[in-house]
Amino acid sequence: MAIKRFLDKIMLLDLFSGLGITAKYLFKKKVTVQYPEERREPSHRFRGMFRLDEERCIKCTLCARDCPIDIIYIDWHQEVNPTTEKKEKVLDRFDIDVQRCMFCGLCEEACPTEPKSIWLTSKTYELATYDRWENLYVDMDELQDWKIRPDYTDKEIV
Amino acid sequence: MTEPGGGAHTLFDLKEMELNFGPQHPSTHGVLRLKLKVDGERIVDCYPIIGYLHRGTEKLFELNPYFQNVPHTDRMDYVAAATNNLAYVGAVEKLFGIQVPPRASYIRTILCELQRISSHLLWLATHAIDIGAMTPFFYCFREREIILDLFEEYCGARLTLNCMRPGGQPFDLTVGWEQRCRDFVADFPSKIAEYEGLLTDNRIWKKRTVGIGVLDPDVALDYGITGPLLRGSGVDWDLRKVHPYEAYGDVEFDVPLGRNGDTYDRYIIRMEEMRQSCRILDQCLDKLPGGKIMAHKPRVMKGPKVGEAYYAIEAPKGEIGFYIVSDGKPGPYRCRVRPPSFMNLQIVPEMAKNHLLADLVAIIGTTDIVLGEVDR
Amino acid sequence: MGPLQSVVDFVGPELYYWALSPAIKIAVLLFAGILPLITYLVLAERKILGFIQVRVGPNRVGPWGLLQPIADVMKLLVKEDVIPNRAIRWAFILAPCLVVGPALVIFAVIPVGPPSAEPGGLDLFVTDVNVGLLFVVAMATIAVYGLILGGWSSNSKFSLLGGLRSAAQMISYEVPQGLAIVAALLLAGSMSMVDIVEAQKNSGLWFVFPQIVGFFIYFVAGVAESNRNPFDLPEAESELVAGYHTEYSGMRFALFFLGEYANMIVISAVAVTLFFGGWYRPFPNVEALAFLDLSFLPAGLAGVIWFSLKVFVFLFTYIWFRGTFPRYRFDQLMDLGWKWMIPLSLLNIFFTALIKLLL
Repeated sequence: MAIKRFLDKIMLLDLFSGLGITAKYLFKKKVTVQYPEERREPSHRFRGMFRLDEERCIKCTLCARDCPIDIIYIDWHQEVNPTTEKKEKVLDRFDIDVQRCMFCGLCEEACPTEPKSIWLTSKTYELATYDRWENLYVDMDELQDWKIRPDYTDKEIV
Repeated sequence: MTEPGGGAHTLFDLKEMELNFGPQHPSTHGVLRLKLKVDGERIVDCYPIIGYLHRGTEKLFELNPYFQNVPHTDRMDYVAAATNNLAYVGAVEKLFGIQVPPRASYIRTILCELQRISSHLLWLATHAIDIGAMTPFFYCFREREIILDLFEEYCGARLTLNCMRPGGQPFDLTVGWEQRCRDFVADFPSKIAEYEGLLTDNRIWKKRTVGIGVLDPDVALDYGITGPLLRGSGVDWDLRKVHPYEAYGDVEFDVPLGRNGDTYDRYIIRMEEMRQSCRILDQCLDKLPGGKIMAHKPRVMKGPKVGEAYYAIEAPKGEIGFYIVSDGKPGPYRCRVRPPSFMNLQIVPEMAKNHLLADLVAIIGTTDIVLGEVDR
Repeated sequence: MGPLQSVVDFVGPELYYWALSPAIKIAVLLFAGILPLITYLVLAERKILGFIQVRVGPNRVGPWGLLQPIADVMKLLVKEDVIPNRAIRWAFILAPCLVVGPALVIFAVIPVGPPSAEPGGLDLFVTDVNVGLLFVVAMATIAVYGLILGGWSSNSKFSLLGGLRSAAQMISYEVPQGLAIVAALLLAGSMSMVDIVEAQKNSGLWFVFPQIVGFFIYFVAGVAESNRNPFDLPEAESELVAGYHTEYSGMRFALFFLGEYANMIVISAVAVTLFFGGWYRPFPNVEALAFLDLSFLPAGLAGVIWFSLKVFVFLFTYIWFRGTFPRYRFDQLMDLGWKWMIPLSLLNIFFTALIKLLL
């Protein structure tokens, strides 16, 4: 046994087994995702950029209250709907400061409407921008109409 | 003009040189700073300086209601968010006396074990690259990616999971998730064999780890070391066995123990823990009960007028515990975290003394610290 | 009246002999051979490491990333060149030159192909010094000054430690390397690189077979000497940030880099010359393998091809090592060098000499 161990040591078997493993991988299929050309499809529950549906929203402000870092700003007032003659809550402001958002999804969970009126499962994860305030402080209109970020072109990268 | 000789003279005049290791250093695993006193390359003294990642998490806990704190726990040990979540929600549940439905318990166990594997994979990747082996890094990340995908499918996030709530689980497993998890568990041991093929028997790896950073069991207990570090010294202390929580009482697994308490033993232990995690996952998936995933709880949770709870679990890095004091408000009066990394970091100067600079890197690697948790 | 004479007649003897002068040869070798080879070696390293590590490596600049080296060189050339405030200027500037210069000079004595069949023709080496091997060893030694000077003059503690490590490492590994070379030299009975290759052809045997131990020592010491994994401690990035070139940037850093890769090529080329029969095909005396001579190619080109092939195998091994092994510790490296390699190489010389004496 001792002789065998000595021979193994002399013949560098431990080193060669490692070399064998790396050599095996030399020709295996690679796992890289070539990002701008190929994109991973996020799962259905993936928490990405916000969406808002103003029609569904009942202005309860639970999402703003449940946000751990208070980045949802909601203002609303009541007015009488001229057609139905009922009092309705109308949103003045629904801003989300996405710069600080940690995408925990508690706002979506707090939303009492069915289906949710605020949700993060938009599968949009390309949120990098050149200007924080311009692009990452989103108001009501942008939240309802958040365009999926356009494809990268070479021009844009330069 | 530069002065002739510059400061280099003082370098040679000193017998012992002071060396600033970090906070921007490739192998201090984040922003750890070590003030070293070195004699040539031999470390005479080592003094860790922390706080570069301090975000006041414990104070933040006091400002928020109980359920809003879960995302903050993600950011402490950011490579093992699920175990942080579990320790926190466990403490809250203990405070309120909530019993979690069995299905939620099992899901939590599964998530925690996946998280243990992913945390150990990250540890192995960085530990190996610290010691100079570059390739295991990529292999480990390949497998970690699969786990992160599983997390993403379950809760929508890959790293900062926020996947548990006081009282149960926010989501049920998606269709096909179990099968994907099973596939991973079935495949993973062969991948572990690959990492071991690259490292375990390799004479260079052995030279770099055997006998390095030997930790005496008594010293480890004195310092309050937990996790693989403690088990590497041969102390049989695993909270999953000692105080079984969630579904750990129902599953069979072994707790690997080391003999010499050196870096190599701790490496072997963590590799074995990954195998045992696979075993636990297998059993959990087999036994997974149906039913509810959320216990009945009030919408607004107000703590008892006078109450406190400490709840600790076995995180990948050691014992993570949350101590919550309640004064009847919706949020904790005080929340104290017992982070494993912070306790384990204290042993680094002890272990590093009289080793060489190169060993220091191995020692930092083997303690497996995450500075987000040390500084909180 | 061979084809050679007609070439001489065509361009005129003056121009012809000028074109064959060592200076022109060096220029051609450097700018058409070594420097592009080094830049593409970097690309090859990144690609092969990528393939080993289940990723694709650089592939953005040009097809398969083939233009990446050009982009890299351009970047390094135009990058700001920072000299630290309290660095020792002259030494800081001199150090990278000391590393890269000698490494390139060694190529002068390495025969990449056979000498010309007729006198006055094109020899496929710059010069055939009768102390070629000594020249190689001597030049390789100079690089250590560059490293230690760079480490010291940067006036940074990490650089200093890196410089000290590299000095200790290179000095201690030059000894076994030199001793391994001596064994091959005993077999060939000459220090001229061309003669050594011819000796291997005449004996019909690559020297690696009788000198397997010597070759092993030479190669391991060579890996250590060129500061490559698993002996890359002087620049171990996880310990010393970047070792002796921590403070270097831009083209000065690139020179260190160039020196390292040039050293890799030199050590591979010398290994091929000493132990693997230089420009000859495998088993040059076995008639059955004559098709390997590639005799349809112009004279000499086949030799260059065989030589390059053998060098590439070594370079691949270097990269393969880097993708597989962890790094030794400083004192373990010294242990290995002084306690194993040197006694082993001395024994090797002893037995080689004994056998040579007896036969």
